[in-house]
Amino acid sequence: MRGFDLAKPLSIGVMIAIMLPLVLLPLASIFIFGTSNGLDNFWKALMAPEAIFALKLSIVTSFWATVFNVIFGLFAAYVLSKYNFWGRNAIIVTISLPTAIPTAVAGFALLLLWGPYGLLGRLIEPHGVHIMFTAWAIILANIFVTFPLAFGVIKPVFDTMNQSLEEASATMGATRWQTFWHVTLPGLRGAIVTGALLTFARAIGEFGSTILVSGNLASRTQTAPLYIFAKFNEGQVEAANAIAIVLALFSFVIFSILFFARDWLEVD
Amino acid sequence: MQYNPEEIHVTPMDMGGSAMSVIGLSKSFGDTPVLENINFGVDEDEIVVLLGASGSGKTTILRIIAGLEMPDSGHVVLHGRDVTESPARQRGTGVIFQNYALFPKMTVEANIGYGLRLRRRKRNEIRETVDRLVELVELQDHRTKYPSQLSGGQQQRVAIARAMAYEPEVLLFDEPFGALDAQIRQSLRKEIRALLKKLNVPSVFITHDQEEAFELADRLAVLNAGRLEQMGTPFEVYTRPETEHVATFLGAANLLDGTIRDGKFEHQDVVLELSPDNPKCREGDKVKLVFRPEDVFLRRPENLTQQYHQLATGTVDEVGFAGSYERVTVTLDLGKHKPIVVTRPKTETAAFPLRVGQSVTAGLVRYRVIKAA
Repeated sequence: MRGFDLAKPLSIGVMIAIMLPLVLLPLASIFIFGTSNGLDNFWKALMAPEAIFALKLSIVTSFWATVFNVIFGLFAAYVLSKYNFWGRNAIIVTISLPTAIPTAVAGFALLLLWGPYGLLGRLIEPHGVHIMFTAWAIILANIFVTFPLAFGVIKPVFDTMNQSLEEASATMGATRWQTFWHVTLPGLRGAIVTGALLTFARAIGEFGSTILVSGNLASRTQTAPLYIFAKFNEGQVEAANAIAIVLALFSFVIFSILFFARDWLEVD
Repeated sequence: MQYNPEEIHVTPMDMGGSAMSVIGLSKSFGDTPVLENINFGVDEDEIVVLLGASGSGKTTILRIIAGLEMPDSGHVVLHGRDVTESPARQRGTGVIFQNYALFPKMTVEANIGYGLRLRRRKRNEIRETVDRLVELVELQDHRTKYPSQLSGGQQQRVAIARAMAYEPEVLLFDEPFGALDAQIRQSLRKEIRALLKKLNVPSVFITHDQEEAFELADRLAVLNAGRLEQMGTPFEVYTRPETEHVATFLGAANLLDGTIRDGKFEHQDVVLELSPDNPKCREGDKVKLVFRPEDVFLRRPENLTQQYHQLATGTVDEVGFAGSYERVTVTLDLGKHKPIVVTRPKTETAAFPLRVGQSVTAGLVRYRVIKAA
């Protein structure tokens, strides 16, 4: 065969061979084991009230954490791109910090603040306001660990946005708010959607901080990853597996969107 | 902010006649002055070009008129209304930015209609105006496209239509041809000038390109280091420059230092009469003689006729081909002096070919003096 380049199939083969034991087979085993007793059993495990609750709780808490972090990320990116002030860089570093902190430490830190003996918890607990070991604690933990994600996607887009667009809008008669709404925000559409998807994907899988702050009470404060952990400890591998499949599919869908819609999202 | 009428060169009466005027504008960035006492007006259907190198302050003037920058002192008056303190959005100026600044997420139509939507005009009124403007700038086939799908020239036309939609009090063009190919530039300049003349809007262009300034301007203002050095029609400014900068920035100019003696220009043996349209000079004033390369005639030393004002003899240094004309440099026999540049049309080069090293006499058709700085 003329022009045949052995390097191509060889290098692709090597790449897949490396990925196989590290990534592909672990993922495959979830699906193989989860459905090995038939789809009926898988469906039954998935429809268990505790399992449904855990999934719903994960989705709801991740959703609100995402809403908060996208709005805050947008606001912080706006402030930090537009204004130069003393301490600006310190704030940028602080916003980015939560990704570098182990999630267990994040959960622990929240406990030390909001727990019954915590700095603020001590002040509010006597009034009957409980934050730790409720859904609020899960949202707080999710916000903390995903804090820089939306900001990190939106800020660079803000920075490279052509300033004369906003000036043009102003000379044409727009107020700041109208300019933000009609000109700035549409330019950030892709970054906002991307940031939201990343935040949500990261939040829904959060384990380390949630297990410390939620209390892990079944049907009350047990999220999907905690459910998997609890069922596995109880020896109910099938129940754990069913939820694991759902979470894996979630991530798969989100990252497929990020990849295949990247033209629309304008991320490269 | 108060202004003292004695500090400015334009009387308030002149201001009343102008559609747009700036009075005594000054601005510094930190300790660096960027504008010093700028005064000029633009009439209702006039195109004024601010011409200057980068750093001359021309962009700052435009931004101050638009309200994107605040002057340290001075006023901006639009149709008799002092808008110096008004924010950009309340001024009603139309700005065509250097990179056009079209809104990338809006179609051509939406870009053009934006200013009217902000003014909450009725939907059919907006549609009619957009239709009219789309036709005017000949973008009928592109009205639902996004800016990224248009060529540079088309984007520029959208930017102009967008700025005209809400009937601005003045159109401001920030080097609008900078991003375009040289070929397209020239045809667009003609198109835009014709368009503006049809519209009857006062317009201010800024550019560093003198050819562009000549072609567009009814009047041009030459800026240098934050000062307005001269303003007039392109013909006036080219033929009667008042400063060395104006003389050399607008086309090429030869300069010769000298002194006023008996009302005449004198440099060694060179003595030239001065016509009355030269600036008033006193005996002994240090001046510079300014003459354009095309206003010099070269002859064999024995041949110079009386119709040219004799300058000096000299030697040809270089003879260069420059397309439609010939470019010659000549060292005059005036001691240490920069060689002068002479351009000669084809008819001239055919009648009297020159070679390097040849002795010639230089005569002047036209010249002026300016006061030495």
